[in-house]
Amino acid sequence: MTPESIVLEELERDALTEIVNIGVSRAASSLRKMIGDQVLLSVPSIDVVSQRRAARLISERETSELVAVRQGFSGPFSGRALLIFPESNSLALVRAVTGGEMSAEDMADIEVEALAETGNVILNSCLATMANMLRRSLTMTIPEVLRGTGDTLFEVDGAETANGLVLFLYIDFSVRSRNIRGYIAMIMDLPSLAMLKELLAEFIRRIVGDDA
Amino acid sequence: MPDRGTELRRLSMVGASGSWDWDIRGGVLRADAGFAALHGLNAQDMAVGVETACFFRAIHVDDRPRIRIAVAGMLAGAELFSKEFRILLPDGAVLWVHARGQTHLDEQDEPVRFMGVLVDVTERKRAEERLRIAQSAGGVGTFEYMDGFATVSVSDEFCRLLGLHPASVLPVQTVNAVVRPGEPPLFPVNAEGDAGLADDLEGVFAITRADDGAQRWIARRGEKLHEGAGYRLIGVVYDVTTSKQLETALRELNDTLEHRVEQEVANRREAEEALRQAQKMEAVGQLTGGIAHDFNNLLMAIQSSLTLLQKRLPGDPHTDRLIDNAMQGAQRGAALTQRMLAFARRQDLTPVRVEVEALVRGMTDLVQRTIGPAWWLDLDFPAHLPPVTADVNQLEMAVLNLAVNARDAMPDGGVIRIGACAQTVAEGAPSGLAPGRYIGLSVVDAGVGMDEATLSRATEPFFTTKGVGKGTGLGLSMIHGLAKQLGGTFSLESTLGNGTTAILWLPASEEVQAEAAAPAAVERDAASMGSLKILAVDDDWLILMNTGALLEDLGHQVFEAGSGEEALACLRDNPDIDVLITDQAMPGMTGTQLVGHVATLRPDLPIILASGYGEIPADARARIIKLGKPFGQAQLENALAQALQVVSG
Repeated sequence: MTPESIVLEELERDALTEIVNIGVSRAASSLRKMIGDQVLLSVPSIDVVSQRRAARLISERETSELVAVRQGFSGPFSGRALLIFPESNSLALVRAVTGGEMSAEDMADIEVEALAETGNVILNSCLATMANMLRRSLTMTIPEVLRGTGDTLFEVDGAETANGLVLFLYIDFSVRSRNIRGYIAMIMDLPSLAMLKELLAEFIRRIVGDDA
Repeated sequence: MPDRGTELRRLSMVGASGSWDWDIRGGVLRADAGFAALHGLNAQDMAVGVETACFFRAIHVDDRPRIRIAVAGMLAGAELFSKEFRILLPDGAVLWVHARGQTHLDEQDEPVRFMGVLVDVTERKRAEERLRIAQSAGGVGTFEYMDGFATVSVSDEFCRLLGLHPASVLPVQTVNAVVRPGEPPLFPVNAEGDAGLADDLEGVFAITRADDGAQRWIARRGEKLHEGAGYRLIGVVYDVTTSKQLETALRELNDTLEHRVEQEVANRREAEEALRQAQKMEAVGQLTGGIAHDFNNLLMAIQSSLTLLQKRLPGDPHTDRLIDNAMQGAQRGAALTQRMLAFARRQDLTPVRVEVEALVRGMTDLVQRTIGPAWWLDLDFPAHLPPVTADVNQLEMAVLNLAVNARDAMPDGGVIRIGACAQTVAEGAPSGLAPGRYIGLSVVDAGVGMDEATLSRATEPFFTTKGVGKGTGLGLSMIHGLAKQLGGTFSLESTLGNGTTAILWLPASEEVQAEAAAPAAVERDAASMGSLKILAVDDDWLILMNTGALLEDLGHQVFEAGSGEEALACLRDNPDIDVLITDQAMPGMTGTQLVGHVATLRPDLPIILASGYGEIPADARARIIKLGKPFGQAQLENALAQALQVVSG
């Protein structure tokens, strides 16, 4: 169960969604320059759930294996950020990013690199925008590509260690008229999420002012 | 409540739309007439440009913060804007609008313009609201599925019913996974699945809810809409667990009905059989008792007459032997009637405390001699067995009877085990015994045993498996009667070829009572009594005559009365009568009733009550001497002496 004190208010969730949207928009802009074609990214909604629930949630929605790009971040709030695709979508993404001119063999060779690069652009952009909008700074580790199920990606291994919370964001890609759905997940412990909540409240006060 | 003008204005705006152009660098908001009308702003001012704060002015106060945040995101670099919010019109009416916008970036990727369109979606929003409430209030989840797609569009309520995390689109596989194994899927997974799908999608599914693992039943209804070569399934699901459970319970009840009725009928038949058996035994008992009573009287007349005859005839060895023979025949007849009365539970028993083990050990010689050398006895008695209250002679007869039966069951010889055990019967025990401690006296053989039919009739009087003339058929029925009369029971267990166990259960005698001193035979000869005036009463003239003859032979003067009424009349006429001898069982006035009347007339009169029945009331006064039928002259004389002593003493 998500502790009541850490549940984000509706407005805080809206604010975080918009901040991440700014991040993915910037990422889309970077990707456009990389591949020279139209890329649209948006994040329609966000959930805060336990690690276990996140694993179940994604396995309810996706029936195939999953591929994820993972990056650690640290600062006022720390954790691990994941960009997750159903495995069936990952090659489509690589094909879209590389322009579809490569052979299947070549593409398989560069799949991991292409995924890591794309994930790096999107996650970096999101985390940087969050740091920027919340007026704090974050440092990030280099990305790694993982494959597995919801349980392995969300580190639900039956032990009691999986008691963190997950910011769960749905992300819609549109690359070269292909529609690809994915997820951004940020695994954080309670103190980090409490700090994020505080920073979001501060951000809302700045933007909304008297209307809040 | 908006007035009519407001409502008309509202209607004119249904589906209205407008557009805006937010110059980020210049800080100016421009919009078309549609936008101006929706926001209640001046169209001309809007065309020229107003301050950007005007964008938020008409937005409902509850929606304004979230729209401010969304716009801030756009101005900071987000690309897509798609929001629904309420607009408050100047006249108080509220509109729901959907705003979709996009930012335009300069070469440095900095947003310069934020443009978009605004559409009135109030009608749709209300319909959605009604649908949402209908779903949550009615517990109905909706779905829409297109054939060939791997996903299905669902409502939040749909997800809740199946225990899934709320989502608008779910993989078909995820939805079908909640259905229990072996059940058809909720949505068709291949062409075969389509075939069985009715156009109304009717179906009931057993599911295991994904979140809490609860076992539920879900009904599916809807429509199959054909579109070209394919189709679209639109419908609802709802929980029918309660009615399904009731249905299942009802069906189970129905399925087992026949069996339960059979069981009930069998139970009833068994009870009826037991009742019929009991009634038969009761009827036979009544009959036997009646016959035995009449027989007793006859035997008494014969015995008495023989006694008198012996006295009066001159001593002749030939005559004496004939009379002796007749006397023995009468005595054996009397013994037989005793057994019949014992079965009918009308026998006079003299219950005393009896140590069962001592009783059996004391009669082993007798038993062994009776059964013969090919059979031997194995006695097994536990230490400290409580005594029982029983009639010694009857109990001995019962043991002997059972031993003989055991012998007859083992024609080639063998061991007969006689033993005893103590057992406590709890309240409501099926044996029908009153709660308390009982001693079970058992006689066990390893003989031929009995089949069920024989066993069920074994205690019926006159039922015998022995050859004609060998057994009376009264042995076991007598024991049965004895047990009942003493507050116990008699059980027989046997299977064909595996021997028989007969157990006589008798209540243990708990109270320590002094051994009732046998009434010392009162030795008073006839001479010391002198000649008495005796009133004899009996409804049977044969007995009356007989009793009279016996008394006269003893030297007494006898008055005879054929009924209680006659006796009372005689007593009034002859106040000098010394003793009253009356039969108990008489029509009109019984012996005890007569005694009651005599008590007021002649309270000091010695009375002898003669009876072959064991039914003289327990409270009959002590001064009354009981005389068992049939009686001989000696018993009669003894009774007379006792009666006189009781009165005088």
